[in-house]
Amino acid sequence: MFYLLHLIMLVLMMSIGFVFAFLAIMERDLLKAVVFSAGQAAAYVIVYYLLMSPDIVLAYAAIGVGIYSAVMIIAIKKTERYEKV
Amino acid sequence: MKTREKILLALIIISLALLAVILSFGALGAVPLKTIRPLGSFYLYFMANNNIVIQEIYPSITKPSDFWAASTEGITAILWDYRGLDTLFETSVFFFAIIGSVSVFRYYSVSLEEKNKKNTNNSSTNTKTSGQGLSLIVKLITRINFVVIIAVSASIAFHGQLTPGGGFQGGATLAVAPLLAIAALSRYFVEDVGLKKNTMLTIRTLGLLIIGLLALTPLIMGFAGGNPYIMENQPKSWAMFIGFPSFGLGVLLGSLAFYNMAELLAVGAGFTVVFLLLTLPEEFFKKILSREVGKQ
Repeated sequence: MFYLLHLIMLVLMMSIGFVFAFLAIMERDLLKAVVFSAGQAAAYVIVYYLLMSPDIVLAYAAIGVGIYSAVMIIAIKKTERYEKV
Repeated sequence: MKTREKILLALIIISLALLAVILSFGALGAVPLKTIRPLGSFYLYFMANNNIVIQEIYPSITKPSDFWAASTEGITAILWDYRGLDTLFETSVFFFAIIGSVSVFRYYSVSLEEKNKKNTNNSSTNTKTSGQGLSLIVKLITRINFVVIIAVSASIAFHGQLTPGGGFQGGATLAVAPLLAIAALSRYFVEDVGLKKNTMLTIRTLGLLIIGLLALTPLIMGFAGGNPYIMENQPKSWAMFIGFPSFGLGVLLGSLAFYNMAELLAVGAGFTVVFLLLTLPEEFFKKILSREVGKQ
């Protein structure tokens, strides 16, 4: 039972991360895309936790959600917010 | 639906199907694992025990103290002891990457001076930090969070040889604190507090210097004999280095605790330097660089 719950959580979190990644790619407003990307990172943090790698969780949470988003926001601020086709 | 979206959707479906096929053939094995793999069990047996002899599984190992790392955390033990040189070079890659970014952002001091001059001209009261940043609520919460994040990063790094975590994880967490402060309180506030570029560079170099000295300590002490090797943590039967203190403060210590502290300084300060450089006002750079190009 616990094993099954573990797998269901894993699949659910992978799917949420996948949806966020899709949204991040398709979004024209790059600031929103960064927020989606941070959501993807947050879902993957839980995936890594379920796959029993707490060290990766600690590094990924800080870099994926915090540092990566901030660097991207700085880049958007210095360039353009909306993606042109 | 546009052509681009169609192609993207098709690619996603194909890659998902491929991944499903690969996984259904058992690429990852059972997830999560119900047993421990042989290599993992070796490290788990020996990294924290220097007196365990398991004749039935490892008949050749009669001296388990040759394989122990004075750590209960497998990842940190592998990173800084069993595969220590890899981490040493990884840290130096990070070091050189930041040297590169610092050299790209030259004329740092000139641009800041020009910015300050502009501030003085615009406003009669030259208060650099007031009136910048986000609202009062955000500023207050950021001040509280700043302290909390530093405490959390210290707990991740200083406990790294016992619980999940370590120098790099702690350093990456530490770097989020000045990042938040830059976003909410403006970079001039951060510099006024004392987190200046040169201070951070000094702290970062100090961290790397400590790592280098720790790595060379066995060799330096080996002049007296004993045939130790670089980054040796605990004494081995073939390399009789006296070893870093394995017990201290009531917990396992080894050299890993010191490596983690130094790595915390190096990574945290390194990321802070990059953020301070990235958030520089750009127009002054453009002016100065175009002047430089015009000269040639």
